Amino acid sequence: MATTVLPRATTYPRSRVYEWLTTTDHKKIGLMYVASSYFFMCLGGLLALGIRTQLAVPNDTLIPNALYNQLFTMHGTTMIFFFVMPMLAGFANYAMPLMIGAADMAFPRINALSFWIIPVSGVLLFSGFAFGGAASAGWTSYAPLAEAKYSGIGQDLWILALLLNGMSSILGAINMLVTIFKLRAPGMTMLRLPIFVWTVLVTAILLVFAVPVLASGLVMLFIDRNYGGSFFDPAAGGDAILWQNVFWFFGHPEVYIMILPAFGIISEVIPVFSRKPLFGYKAFVLATVSIGVLGFGVWAHHMFATGAVYLPFFSAATFLISVPTGVKMFNWVATMWRGKLRFTTSMLFAVGFLISFLIGGLDGAFAASTPVDFDITDTYWIVSHLHYVLFGGSAMAIMAATYYWFPKMLGRMLDERLGKIHFTLMFVGLQLTFFPMHLLGMAGMPRRIAEYAPSAWQPLNVVATFGAFMIAASMLPFLWNMFAALRRPADAPDDPWDANTLEWATSSPPPPYNFERLPEVRSERPLFDLKHPELRKAATPAAIVVSPGSGH
Amino acid sequence: MRRATTWTRSLLPLAVLALVVSACAQATASNPVPGFFPLPAITDQGQSSENLYVFILAIATAIFLLVEGLILFAVLRYRRRKGDDQLPTQTHGSMPFELAWTIVPFIIVVALFTLSYQTQEQVDAAVPNPPLTVDVTGFQWQWTFDYKAQGLSFTGQGTDGPVMVLPVGEDVHFRLHSNDVIHSFYLPAFFFKKDVVPGRTNEFDLTLDQTGTYAGQCAEFCGLGHADMRFTVQAVSQADFNAWVTKEQEAAKATPSPLPSGAQSLTLSASNTTAFDESTLTAAAGQPFAVVFTNNEPTGGPPHDFAIKDPAGSSNMLFTGQPLAQAGQTVTYDVPALPAGTYTFICIVHPNMTGTLTVK
Repeated sequence: MATTVLPRATTYPRSRVYEWLTTTDHKKIGLMYVASSYFFMCLGGLLALGIRTQLAVPNDTLIPNALYNQLFTMHGTTMIFFFVMPMLAGFANYAMPLMIGAADMAFPRINALSFWIIPVSGVLLFSGFAFGGAASAGWTSYAPLAEAKYSGIGQDLWILALLLNGMSSILGAINMLVTIFKLRAPGMTMLRLPIFVWTVLVTAILLVFAVPVLASGLVMLFIDRNYGGSFFDPAAGGDAILWQNVFWFFGHPEVYIMILPAFGIISEVIPVFSRKPLFGYKAFVLATVSIGVLGFGVWAHHMFATGAVYLPFFSAATFLISVPTGVKMFNWVATMWRGKLRFTTSMLFAVGFLISFLIGGLDGAFAASTPVDFDITDTYWIVSHLHYVLFGGSAMAIMAATYYWFPKMLGRMLDERLGKIHFTLMFVGLQLTFFPMHLLGMAGMPRRIAEYAPSAWQPLNVVATFGAFMIAASMLPFLWNMFAALRRPADAPDDPWDANTLEWATSSPPPPYNFERLPEVRSERPLFDLKHPELRKAATPAAIVVSPGSGH
Repeated sequence: MRRATTWTRSLLPLAVLALVVSACAQATASNPVPGFFPLPAITDQGQSSENLYVFILAIATAIFLLVEGLILFAVLRYRRRKGDDQLPTQTHGSMPFELAWTIVPFIIVVALFTLSYQTQEQVDAAVPNPPLTVDVTGFQWQWTFDYKAQGLSFTGQGTDGPVMVLPVGEDVHFRLHSNDVIHSFYLPAFFFKKDVVPGRTNEFDLTLDQTGTYAGQCAEFCGLGHADMRFTVQAVSQADFNAWVTKEQEAAKATPSPLPSGAQSLTLSASNTTAFDESTLTAAAGQPFAVVFTNNEPTGGPPHDFAIKDPAGSSNMLFTGQPLAQAGQTVTYDVPALPAGTYTFICIVHPNMTGTLTVK
């Protein structure tokens, strides 16, 4: 038999572009998620500047009503579905497999598909501007206003874009679940998962249960609009409130989808920069799971003023969900207590998160109380509350995560001085923009109005507009910081923050398939255990010590 | 780390200052400056709700000060000193503390819920046989207030909307109706709002106890004219209310002054939401005229109307036809005299439907 000598396989010179377009590496996909989310954040931010510019002057005619309605509809939709959700999915995509010691996600090609759906659906959503007007019925698209009688083709594009976007979320969520359940490193038991991974896990479960409900609502609305259905049209025997029930059954878990991974980020950042373990790890897991469960029982608190919901149940459930959230707040503070705090930009954003999210959380007690909610719902008070949760909460955590993981993801340190300028401008801008809105709401200013008569509302609106431009300005040093870092040669060490979790146990950025060797996993801080063998006994949590004689 | 610490120090007072400054203002009915406290409510129900609000605000402020205080203390006290590389004590948790900050907040929220529930029962209580009932109809983008027992009906004109006159000291029953999209009947001085939902009649009762004039507006986003859906509530004594009813009833009985005989009558119709059936109209200058407007949409189709845009270019209307012509309906709009010129007429429900009105 003749011997065939095969030529040695050589690597084909492939273009960078081709490599990124076809990659199934969770790290590259994670980076693309993050980059596209920052792009959409800037876009959504510009829409917000339009809104704030209009409201700085009473009876302003700068922006016609039709365009104004598109601005706030597209702002909300963009920030929720194209900034916060994919951004958190991006960080989860990048960090979660590394944190559990996996080589990649469970389904790498589905992972690539979930990402590529996002820009496509984004183009679909924004194409409304080119076809006679984007969606303009609010990000909640209440029927019958979103029906064909009252809204144009932009609404159909909105429905299709969100259906696609939801598909991406469901695929991503299933991928995360399988990865967490099946690909953990040896020794990485469920109660040794980093808290960020726990929050990703609960978020993925919320997505799997909530997003299909939104999809069903979207399909019904699409049938109403295009094929003569009448699910939500009372004039033809439908029910306008049905849309709200369906939408918020998705919409409130959605709030936790956007905040739980943010909690996870904060729960990684604060322990590292306090040089202490997270205070009350198990309480944290329990609080995360109970928020996930209770999150499905509070949707109708968005509908107290409709007169169509059983008030006591949803009021009680809403009050109750503040308890596990409060536990987390105290645990974070206790983590910092008696630590050695290092105020890197990432830690500053984490503290900024604590300060701002507390306000958003306390606001919840007002909204949970039905008689108070009758007044504040649909006013600027609610706009303030939701931005304290989503900007003061999610976006601040996203910033903390960016400064925290940037060296790992791109192999370069970000400049701390520029980072601090970014934080100062953004934190002060955030308070100036959103705090006055509480007071405007108390004075009776409804949300989503394109103009208001000259009144005492103006000064606070000017403050809010000033704050919004400050937030916009804060993005300049931030974007420059990232740009400048990428032009420098790679300089980041493997573990620049003296961190605890496995992603810092490999090079920065990690090689394809992540690890050459893994440290032993005996707690939720495997890297810490490796660096401090002397503390091994003390650092081993009671979780794995089975006390003799207990009935296990 | 020196830079970081001085930097943190300079920021904190700033945040505190912002809060204190914004806290100083308080709103009153005569001087509605936005503040932490709402406009004093003019109904019994609203006052109960406001008391609850103030109570929650007190608890929330206490928790706010406690937790922000702890955060700031930790940030200032436990920052790492230069050259200190020692590992702090590795505390993993504390059952007593964690139980405490689970149980205490639980007790607080149970108490808040109980209070809130009691107030809600008061606010939501229905009054048997209320002496006065007002039917509120919201539509894009105006309000109609019907006092059916008194035979009175008021539909708003322009951006100020209609006035609702109410007596103090007796229960008023409200019924809310919509024929198009969802609106919300919101008067900050009531500390209350209720959605106006098509296909559903929402009802509530209020007892006013203070006279005065108060501004309200639609609070549920309802399309292009949402911001202009305003109205006014005028609370008066019972004697004044009765006098007002009598006066309005007599005014309604008097025959409305008809258009001068021989006034021009223009015909206009609409069959779809894209364009009017006629794209041009011509009227005589300086004379009032009538527009006989027919909505040719099939039953269940959208409403249309006839309005004339202000040629000055602002988004205001020179004239807005009231009420809207529902599908299949014909409505005659009496248009006041206009100076010669070229105007744009428009359907305010469908602003893409326009035409040219030549006045000469």
